Amino acid sequence: MNTLAQDWVIEVEGLGRRYGQRAVLTGLDLKIRRGEVFGLLGSDGAGKTTTLQMLAGILDPSEGRATVLGYDSVRKAAQITARIGYMSQIFSLYGRLTVNENLDFFAALHRVPEAERAERKARLLAFAHLERHRDRMARFLSGGMQKKLALCCALIHAPPLLILDEPTTGVDPVSRREFWNILYQALTEGATILVSTPYMDEAERCTRVALLHDGRLVACDTPARLRAGLPGKMYELVARPQRRALAALQRVLPQAAPYVFGERLHLRLPLGGGDEGEWRAALIREDVQLETVRPIAPSLEDVFVALLPSAEVAPPLAAEVAVGAAGPAIEVQDLSMRFGNFTAVDGVSFAVQRGEIFGFLGPNGSGKTTTIKMLCGLLAPSTGRATVAGVELGADPRALRSRIGYMSQRFSLYEDMSVGENLDFFAGVYQVPRAQLAARRGWALQLAGLRGEESRLTRTLSGGLKQRLALACAVLHEPQVLFLDEPTAGVDPLSRRRFWELIGEIAERGVSVLVTTHYMDEAEHCHTLGLLYNGRLIALDSPQALRTGMRAGEMLELECDQPIQALALFRDEPGVQASFFGDRLHLLVDDAAAARTHLLARLAQAGHKVQRIETVPLGIEDVFIAFIQMEQARLEAVDVRRRKAR
Amino acid sequence: MKSLIFAVMLKEMREIRRDPITIAVAVVLPLLMLYLFGSALSLDVKDASFAVYDQDGGPASRALIDRFSQSGYFKRTHDIRTEDEIAELLDRGRARLVLIIPPDFAQQLARGETAELQALADGSYSTTAMVILGYAEAIVQGYALERTRERLATQGGVAPLALVRIESRVWFNAPLESVNYIVPGLFGVILMAFPPLLTALAVVREKEAGSVQQIFVSPIQPYEFIAGKMIPYAVIAFFEMIMILVAGLWWFHIPFRGSFPLFLAATVIYVFCTVGIGLLVSSITRSQLVAMLLSLLATLMPSFLFSGFLFPIYTMPTMLQLYTYLFPARYFIEISRGIAMKDVGLEVLWPQFLALLLYTALVFVATTRLFRKKVA
Repeated sequence: MNTLAQDWVIEVEGLGRRYGQRAVLTGLDLKIRRGEVFGLLGSDGAGKTTTLQMLAGILDPSEGRATVLGYDSVRKAAQITARIGYMSQIFSLYGRLTVNENLDFFAALHRVPEAERAERKARLLAFAHLERHRDRMARFLSGGMQKKLALCCALIHAPPLLILDEPTTGVDPVSRREFWNILYQALTEGATILVSTPYMDEAERCTRVALLHDGRLVACDTPARLRAGLPGKMYELVARPQRRALAALQRVLPQAAPYVFGERLHLRLPLGGGDEGEWRAALIREDVQLETVRPIAPSLEDVFVALLPSAEVAPPLAAEVAVGAAGPAIEVQDLSMRFGNFTAVDGVSFAVQRGEIFGFLGPNGSGKTTTIKMLCGLLAPSTGRATVAGVELGADPRALRSRIGYMSQRFSLYEDMSVGENLDFFAGVYQVPRAQLAARRGWALQLAGLRGEESRLTRTLSGGLKQRLALACAVLHEPQVLFLDEPTAGVDPLSRRRFWELIGEIAERGVSVLVTTHYMDEAEHCHTLGLLYNGRLIALDSPQALRTGMRAGEMLELECDQPIQALALFRDEPGVQASFFGDRLHLLVDDAAAARTHLLARLAQAGHKVQRIETVPLGIEDVFIAFIQMEQARLEAVDVRRRKAR
Repeated sequence: MKSLIFAVMLKEMREIRRDPITIAVAVVLPLLMLYLFGSALSLDVKDASFAVYDQDGGPASRALIDRFSQSGYFKRTHDIRTEDEIAELLDRGRARLVLIIPPDFAQQLARGETAELQALADGSYSTTAMVILGYAEAIVQGYALERTRERLATQGGVAPLALVRIESRVWFNAPLESVNYIVPGLFGVILMAFPPLLTALAVVREKEAGSVQQIFVSPIQPYEFIAGKMIPYAVIAFFEMIMILVAGLWWFHIPFRGSFPLFLAATVIYVFCTVGIGLLVSSITRSQLVAMLLSLLATLMPSFLFSGFLFPIYTMPTMLQLYTYLFPARYFIEISRGIAMKDVGLEVLWPQFLALLLYTALVFVATTRLFRKKVA
């Protein structure tokens, strides 16, 4: 390894890869410095996995070159694979080996000296909170535990470079936080980290990020500079009625890209405020009441939405609100589902009103999909009862199915059929009356933003368009209740925003929407949230009420020189949960005012220069973590009591 | 530095031990196949059903019919009264052979004329039909010879009848029981059927699950990974062989005349060869379905058709005879039958041993070359 290359762990020039005729990645230039946490962002199909596989030396590029740890990624691939740590997106453990045996195997594979093995294993297991599960087979661990174990396996030989492909997708927030803490620990030990993620909030944790879209690099910089580079300023409005306000703003200020964020509207105004008089006047003309306007800090997602080409903007639908009888559209009482010894859903009760958007949140395996399947009549519950769209579960499956719409995780479209053929097929399946067919079809095409594209092959649509077509197919027959199972997984942020607008419009027509997601930021779009964990509903309320009701503590954001050392300082501090956040630290404390002085004293004592320390609002994810920790404490108490009784 | 072969072996052993399906495929299926094929695959003709249309009905024709019944090859199941019944019996497969004796059979014999009989065989199984007609002819010949002797004797024969007799003796399989050569052949077929399949699936499963990417990103050399996968499955295959060998001897009472140690030595080479073929298949496929189809096509089918297991190689067209050299089952079956039936040793079988060794080495080298630590 030559000494000049020491500073750059990864150097990429004009890297590209094609499969047959299809270019997956084109002309990527990138340099990653030693000690960085570098984030690779993008939706499904943007080229993230291909890039990472090429950098890991397990895929040869079609064009360009990459140097990793000073070695050419093609000619010296063996040198790279022998040194780095890598975690593929798919399940990378041996399910029939125990936690301990998996670690042993990877330690042997990477030639970790026998003498160091026990010590490294013990440390990693402690960090991952997996000591108690040493002898469990990997396939019986929860999704979050599996990801943590896979990370431990990738770290067992203390690699100088760690390449991670979407390591936290679908993982519960507590495991996700622990996962990042292990990563930062590796960072303090001198590793460089390259991680891909679909979550924008994780991008904030990186020192630099690169955004890929359609196989091309769209932007690459530090999160702070990217935010600063956003033209204009972000504002948050509260305006009622919101739908009408959005329509007016979209008409008058299309370049401001207004979008709905729960109860609020976000928009980006050009510097100097644009013509504020004009849009305010437009809102008044539409009889909209503007309650508050305040500037907000842009998120990375705002930055990326501004950077992405906005090709497929569908016109808003005419709001022909069909309000039916009030009252709950879904009522669930004590619903449970057991598979053998395993309880997938455990005594869940909730209600969804007409026109309400109910968000079902929870990690993979928490029981979201099982609950939806029961409510759609696809799975008979073990105990409990539920009424959906006025039909008692199990009473009249045919009537139930004609009143509900369902869109599954993998958009159940026929890829080899055209847009129109897909619509016709679903119209047939749902028995849309012939007289209404033409009207419904036209409406659905408008909803999907695919007017005039009926003959296009579904396979050629982008992820965002497929998603909207799938939604259109699910609502063709005007269902009263709509079930959406992770409808936004793997879709780019712009399409996700448009999609949530559509859901909002559908709900305003009186349709009740039950939607699951593992993007925590999407929780803001829902009227009511239910947090599922291990099959139990551990939180149920509006986002606002959950945030104010839960005493989750307060968050201090700290900017200082040498944040890595500062993190080590707070690791064993009682009453402080410290985590890395890009170039800053986040410190969760009970009382910000009291902790502030104490923490500043500790930092001064250790010789750190503090640039900034201030209280920041808690994210909905912080609130969920508090709920999950409470539930974990409860489960442990039950466990202890049971053991005593024995 | 300790080789990584051991690490992969240990991991593989642990996984196999905890996977009931692998164990079932390794233990139950070979025994089932041995039992079914050993019992069902028989080319012997025994108690074949035969029907008689005896239009003569005299003592001469009855004597002939008795010869058929007493031969052990035929069992008289039907007596035909009208001509229509003949077609009926053959169509329905109720009779493998129909013997038609004309009304003037006895008279013709008495007049010293040549009497004509008609034998109709069901040719839809051509091999058995040939055997059946052969037996029928031999029985009739014997009958005719005896009649001639009797006539000569009654006429106070002038000169003794000169005869040529063939004293036939069958070597290696005196009772001509097909089970005696089917089962040693089955050893070769069964070991070609299951171990490659198990091995191919074991690797492709890792490819499908994605855990093999973790192997790619490690210092391991392809040969270490392949040997680490190969050895546990070869050990399993070896015990599979012991198991079917014991079961074969015990269920079917086949004779095993030769040397057990030599047979086991051949087995050791053969299991590495078959498991290696499984790995070769796995290194060029990505999905379990394709791996399964390909390993069946590359192993089970040729070991049935082109190994001499059922169809003797020397009766095949020359091109096909050359083709059979491509499949290792041919060499092993020759070794297996050679040892079990003929009690021959290396002095005769060394070419087959050598071919098998070369084949195995070639498969290992090819697999190592084709196994690339790349996802595409």
